[in-house]
Amino acid sequence: MARYGMVFDLRRCIGCNACVIGCKQENSLPDGMFFTRTLSEEYGVYPAVGRVYIPTLCNQCEDAPCEKVCPSGATYTRDDGIVMVDADLCIGCSSCAVACPYDQRSQVDKDLFEHGLFGTDELTPFEKDGYQRFVPGTIVKCDFCSERVDAGLDPACVVTCPTDARIFGDLDDPDSKVSELIRERNGKPPMPELKTRPKVFYID
Amino acid sequence: MAMQDTKIIGDSFEVGARFQRYWDTSMANAFFCGELGAGLFFVSFLFDFVPGMVTGMLITGIFKSFFHITHMGVPMKSWRAILRPDRSWISRGLIGIVFYLLFGTLHSLNMTFDLQASLGLGTAAGNLIQFFAACAALVVMTYQGFAMSHSTAISLWNTLLMPLSSLLYALTGGAVLTILMGWNSLFAMTTSGQKHLTSETLLLLLISAIVVASILYSANNRSRGGKVSVRLLLTGSFRQPFWYLVTGAGFILPALLLWVAPGNFIAVLVAATGILVGYYSYRVLIFKSGVYEPMSGFR
Repeated sequence: MARYGMVFDLRRCIGCNACVIGCKQENSLPDGMFFTRTLSEEYGVYPAVGRVYIPTLCNQCEDAPCEKVCPSGATYTRDDGIVMVDADLCIGCSSCAVACPYDQRSQVDKDLFEHGLFGTDELTPFEKDGYQRFVPGTIVKCDFCSERVDAGLDPACVVTCPTDARIFGDLDDPDSKVSELIRERNGKPPMPELKTRPKVFYID
Repeated sequence: MAMQDTKIIGDSFEVGARFQRYWDTSMANAFFCGELGAGLFFVSFLFDFVPGMVTGMLITGIFKSFFHITHMGVPMKSWRAILRPDRSWISRGLIGIVFYLLFGTLHSLNMTFDLQASLGLGTAAGNLIQFFAACAALVVMTYQGFAMSHSTAISLWNTLLMPLSSLLYALTGGAVLTILMGWNSLFAMTTSGQKHLTSETLLLLLISAIVVASILYSANNRSRGGKVSVRLLLTGSFRQPFWYLVTGAGFILPALLLWVAPGNFIAVLVAATGILVGYYSYRVLIFKSGVYEPMSGFR
């Protein structure tokens, strides 16, 4: 069984946010909700300054704090390492959201289903179709587009990225692209001091 | 990156501190009512004061439950929160509340109607009920602090001082409410118990203030996010409610009143109001000032 992970190549990311749009489209995410964000940070002192773009999403932690605190057992880890939320079990207590150090969880706003994106009390055809995947009030997060992964495809953000800054693959396969990049370019997980053992790595 | 460079970024796609926005005022209300109710029950329990015990259970049972349910995204499935006591403080707390209300009610009924004698149960059963009721009340007073302290995401909360502050605030609120409720009944015959409890309330206030200061000190020294939270409370947008309500109304005013005029009902009433205002403000502000750590470690 594979153990899926992702590598972000910070040298390649240009901050175009195409991944964000691809994710929103794939997952029918409502206004203000993101499963992935590309953060920007300025560094250095004038005149030697620069800007780096840092893609972020759920790190699918091996030792996931969100899973530990879930009182209903809704958050669980699949055999392939993807951390999932079972909407039928989730009670929307948001314990996982305050436990996730990466702030990668969102709550499905109940009002959204009544008022719609434009507040006209009517859902657009896109919303009518897309929101069927959500249970109002529950917590949702990135699951590496698990339905695409199950079909043998890469996550939507990966295929959308125009610079190949996002690389998806099996961390347990030493010959996979992700393993190779992590090994050769010293891949670093985000906030390693928290010991959550993310399956997402950054290379610079 | 220097402390003054750690920005609060709101919804923008930047690296910086982001407010936690999941546990809001309804959760603060639930924590406040749960701790205060259990604190009142526990202190009244020590004095065998049944009206205080019953009021404490009503505050927890009705108000805490109500505010928790209003917070839940899927209220009809709230019962599922009981399913994972092996790993979740929310589950442990919910089980604690059930035990507290069950054994607290049994103990109150036993105190009022002497059930153990009328049912021929013996003192062992009564003692066991008392023991379970007191232990469960302790769980209810502290579990919310444990639930917060387990969040490594928010430095302000991530300290074992958090359950201690929950316990101290609960006991302080419980003590001052017991004094007020027992003014013309429990403490009418003898003032020594009242004086004793007033002294203990003063001591609890002092220790609570030290613990709150220690929480801020440790957060400030732990991380960039912790610094942002402390800055928000002491000098930032929450400085007025923190200094006026949490510190002034919650600690200084009641300490002075209880020290200068412990036998004056109005003074004790004002002190109790101040303690509760400070306590509630603390609960709200500790949620509002919680921020996620800025992303780091990628370069």
